[in-house]
Amino acid sequence: MRSRVRWFVAVGLLALVVGMIGGVPQAQTQAFKVCSDIAWPPFEWVDARGQFVGFDLDVMRIVALLKGYRIDIQNLAFDSIIPAVVAGQCDIGASGFTITEERKRVVDFSDPYWESNQAVLVHAASGLNIITAFKAGQIIGAQRGTTGADWVEQNVIKQGINVTLRLYETYPLAEQDLINRRIHAVVEDEPAAKVAVKTSRGALKIAGMINTEELFGFLVRKGDPNRLLPRINDGMKEMKRKGIWNNLIEAYFGVDVNLDRVAQCYADLKGWLDRNQPEAYAENLAACMSGQTYRRP
Amino acid sequence: MNLLGPFCQTLQDGSFVRLACEIAPRLLQGTATTFQLTVFAMVLGLGVGLLLALGRIYGNKPIYGLSTAYVQFVRGTPVLVQLFLIYYGLPAFEIRLDPFLAAIIGLGLNSAAYQAEYFRGAIQAIGRGQMLAARAVGMTNLQAIGYVILPQALRIVIPPWSNELIYTLKYSSVAYIITTPELMYTGQIIASSPRGPGAFRYFEVFLIVAVIYLVCVLVISKLLDLVEQRVKIPGLEMR
Repeated sequence: MRSRVRWFVAVGLLALVVGMIGGVPQAQTQAFKVCSDIAWPPFEWVDARGQFVGFDLDVMRIVALLKGYRIDIQNLAFDSIIPAVVAGQCDIGASGFTITEERKRVVDFSDPYWESNQAVLVHAASGLNIITAFKAGQIIGAQRGTTGADWVEQNVIKQGINVTLRLYETYPLAEQDLINRRIHAVVEDEPAAKVAVKTSRGALKIAGMINTEELFGFLVRKGDPNRLLPRINDGMKEMKRKGIWNNLIEAYFGVDVNLDRVAQCYADLKGWLDRNQPEAYAENLAACMSGQTYRRP
Repeated sequence: MNLLGPFCQTLQDGSFVRLACEIAPRLLQGTATTFQLTVFAMVLGLGVGLLLALGRIYGNKPIYGLSTAYVQFVRGTPVLVQLFLIYYGLPAFEIRLDPFLAAIIGLGLNSAAYQAEYFRGAIQAIGRGQMLAARAVGMTNLQAIGYVILPQALRIVIPPWSNELIYTLKYSSVAYIITTPELMYTGQIIASSPRGPGAFRYFEVFLIVAVIYLVCVLVISKLLDLVEQRVKIPGLEMR
């Protein structure tokens, strides 16, 4: 009887030790949850093969590599990302967030990584310009919780111009409604608007720009409990120093870039990230996205 | 706009009651839209559903086949997919419904399939002999249905129909995705407007939204209970 008890204790201790050994490497590389509304090319979208791709996500992946932590990317509705970060369900919000005073009250932002203005999208056949797009009676579309929606609210509706603001779950849905000519204009950030014009095959055009001069940042929980912001800021600087940053910009925003290529390019090249070679990844991604020859890992 | 405004100001800043007070008018506006949506959808569903039920019971082969196919298709696909088909799909055929109308048609045609099944069950619960008896005293098929079968079946159908009404009221919340300004849509806008009182306060805003839905459902259940009592014929209750 006694020996049996001892046997149990021994097995129990062994399990504990094995568990601890198994547990140690995991404790070394922390995993953080990155939340993004993955429906907004070229910053983040789901490609033809179902992969999560885009500028924001690559920055997150590469910063994690450089700073030695793991990330787990989650697809969330845009307006629920900040509440999720506040509630601690997400560690980082990476979804082309403009740094605003209102948001800064509830979350903390990284250094700005992108400057953007709002574009006014209209149907190419509508003949609307940036003034007539906002005349009384028009229906304007935007995504819920965005600075585009806020701009219409503040600068059109609050100025007493009687337009209807329709708020969609995602920008692609708003663009679809614009293509269907159910609404008159969509207000959204310039890079995404340009992609929308391209993918609409001539149905949409940019009527004009609104110089909002917004700065994008990655966001974390107030007070940055995981000390992520120094790592993100540092990582971004390192990316710039090593030329990774410019290659990513080339890959996603370059003039010859065809975003449809991303499915093939990302599938072929993500191995560079697995091998911890972000420079090679970014360089070859830029080449691949603009249709040049590239090197697989 | 908000008549409660001055009163809300007296409540403690940032508190739950202050938030509830400040967003109540907009939420109630959304609730009114939810109600209209539900009522119109149920009426549409009642009409179409009754026709489908009659088609499945008394219809000839093609009518039976069509109504059965309709019921199977609608019950076999999610209401969200149906709304997308109607709202984002129909413009391909130059049909552009506004969000409110698209939601009524989507929810109504969806509810029709379920209502059809409830009606069918209720009609078939009336003994076959009654139909034969009605025909025997010289009624036409339609007269027998209208004067003998339906008056009984419609009473039997009240409890399951109340359920359907409650489901439709709650499912109407999916109409937010096609920008119908109902309760759910209003709640999401309040929680995602960075400058408003509900900014980023998802839990509190949706708690209030949940309570409003709950109150609506309880009131409707009570009302339909009363209707059921009112039209009851002693001896005809479902056992």
